[in-house]
Amino acid sequence: MKVLVPIKRVVDYNVKVRVKADQSGVDLANVKMAMNPFCEIAVEEAVRLKEKGVVTEIVVVTVGSKTAQEQLRTAMALGADRAILVETEENTQPLGVAKALKALVEKESPDLVILGKQAIDDDNNQTGQMLAALTGMPQGTFASEVNVADGKVSVTREIDGGLQTVELSLPAVVTTDLRLNEPRYASLPNIMKAKKKPLDTVSPADLGVDLTPRVKTLKVEPPAERQAGIKVASVEELVDKLKNEAKVI
Amino acid sequence: MSQTAVADLFRPLLGDNRCLTDADSRQRYGVDWTKVWAPAPAVVLLPETVEEVQQIVRLANEHHVALVPSGGRTGLSAGAVAASGEAVVAFDRMNKVLAFDPYDRAVTVQPGVVTQQLQEYAEQQGLFYPVDFASAGSSQIGGNIGTNAGGIKVIRYGMTRDWITGLKVVTGKGDLLDLNKGLIKNATGYDFRHLFIGSEGTLGFVVEATVKLARQPKDLAVLVLGVPGFSEVMNVLHAFQQQLDLTAFEFFSDKAMHHVLAHGVPRPFDTEAPFYCLLEFEQLSDAAGDQAMAVFEHCVEQGWVVDGVMSQSLTQLEQLWQLRERISESIAPHTPYKNDISVMVSKVPAFVQEVDDVVQREYPDFEIVWFGHIGDGNMHLNILKPANLPKEEFFARCNNVSKWVFGIVQKYNGSISAEHGVGMTKKPYLEYSRSPEEIGYMRAVKALFDPNGIMNPGKLLD
Repeated sequence: MKVLVPIKRVVDYNVKVRVKADQSGVDLANVKMAMNPFCEIAVEEAVRLKEKGVVTEIVVVTVGSKTAQEQLRTAMALGADRAILVETEENTQPLGVAKALKALVEKESPDLVILGKQAIDDDNNQTGQMLAALTGMPQGTFASEVNVADGKVSVTREIDGGLQTVELSLPAVVTTDLRLNEPRYASLPNIMKAKKKPLDTVSPADLGVDLTPRVKTLKVEPPAERQAGIKVASVEELVDKLKNEAKVI
Repeated sequence: MSQTAVADLFRPLLGDNRCLTDADSRQRYGVDWTKVWAPAPAVVLLPETVEEVQQIVRLANEHHVALVPSGGRTGLSAGAVAASGEAVVAFDRMNKVLAFDPYDRAVTVQPGVVTQQLQEYAEQQGLFYPVDFASAGSSQIGGNIGTNAGGIKVIRYGMTRDWITGLKVVTGKGDLLDLNKGLIKNATGYDFRHLFIGSEGTLGFVVEATVKLARQPKDLAVLVLGVPGFSEVMNVLHAFQQQLDLTAFEFFSDKAMHHVLAHGVPRPFDTEAPFYCLLEFEQLSDAAGDQAMAVFEHCVEQGWVVDGVMSQSLTQLEQLWQLRERISESIAPHTPYKNDISVMVSKVPAFVQEVDDVVQREYPDFEIVWFGHIGDGNMHLNILKPANLPKEEFFARCNNVSKWVFGIVQKYNGSISAEHGVGMTKKPYLEYSRSPEEIGYMRAVKALFDPNGIMNPGKLLD
């Protein structure tokens, strides 16, 4: 069976982001970019399914700029067979991406779409759900365990206060949570092989979708800075401050 | 002089609050990470100004009181241990960044500034302080200078010595010297700055330092490679160094990796190998990545490398570094006997082979764990205590191993302490790295700056 794995290029998790001086967004100039961590988990799950013999082909896809080829190559080094870049310079948003993915699902007819539950840049947590709604496929979100058998996929979901297991008929959409697996490193021999794997570029127009943003960002502000602490001279002063200034006792 | 008398001497100068005599403080400020000698200082002094440091030194000269400098106390050679009624001079309260100039790309700091604090300050200026090691969160600049601290980026950035452009020191006579004044070029005779760097507080105390800063490294990438033998490790180092400016080249044995994996760090790849290398470089362009890949291919063709991985994000970079950085912690439960030794890079394979052979011949029941900064010729030799052997017997036998090992170090013109200093633990072995004539000159220099022998006595030299 075939799996489609949508991924996203985001600011590296370890970068301390800074807001641009004009408050129009986060400063991305000269900032290290990487594959979204939840997407790494999605790729790993697909590769494990392939290693188990359940999956025969992994197609990795991203919607974004030409530079996102780097992350597609990484996904192929991890085990994806081929890649598709839907190239756009637009600021991508969940609905537009979901529509582009819907067009690709129609073209590729995968049995399973595995993607991260959210991307760490915008934290929307919407694309998987929107894709399921647009295509009419069943969805298993926040997966911490995935088993495929007899034309069905059983997904253990992380929900408030426990776990819920759902069974979906294929084709289906699964979004990954943190505990699903621990992604492997890209081995150097596989990084070299990945350079020769096919990477196709298509335009949103080719897919008949419009990626113009629907949501406009008005202003981005950093969180308020924590104030420096002070030293108190005595227990009495501490109690006084807690009572009269902080008003916590 | 009694303990109380020593404390009373400094109390008028510093007051009760900065002249500590309680048991807790004396315990805390009297030790470093060696924990071999029981701490027993008379008093802990906390000066806040250069003038106070000068007055402390003058008083100590007048009354023949021994002084021990104290920074972050993370040393591994008992260089800052106060075990015989000394006055500890702790620089905790001289912890301010005094000045920064973007044109000089230099920052002037007090000695009590913590290494990490300096690193973060540099980052805020868009610059980089490259001396980095595991204890950077506690160690202080003054101590780094006193021991010429090295660490994990030496292959590219050198030691602490390479970053100090100016030093203010209070000598053992109580004089204040302003050394080199931050200059890059200064050809006016003896450069005492370098004499004080690495002198372990035996000539005087650092009271201010000017430190130059570097450009921040961009897009670092890490490779971890499996290597079939020790000579291949050197071939791999040579091959990569010809093509790339490495910011780190570390190696560790399969045994070291085994202990780290048992501590829950994920395995980099399944292929087994007796040795592993960790390389770091700046991936400033795609070309640098391609070049690294080409060298890797060449190494595989030559049979020098069996497998390898490359970090794809900063998170992975940090995870891969854990394989190397957590070795010390993961072998700690085995009460390791540690040696920090260096030889010239070209002599590393023969040296390691010879040490390995001797230890295995003489002590077949000992497990040896090798790791270190191989790109600088610096190796950490760790011998693990067999579980059933009593601690005293183990260390007694290890002291015999030391003589064997240092004999080989001497034969290869190496150093018995590459970056941990001499202090008290390595003092009996100094002659393996320094000739009697050289030690004679060292004593003469010490007598010049510290005629009464009050500055950190019993450390480095007797």
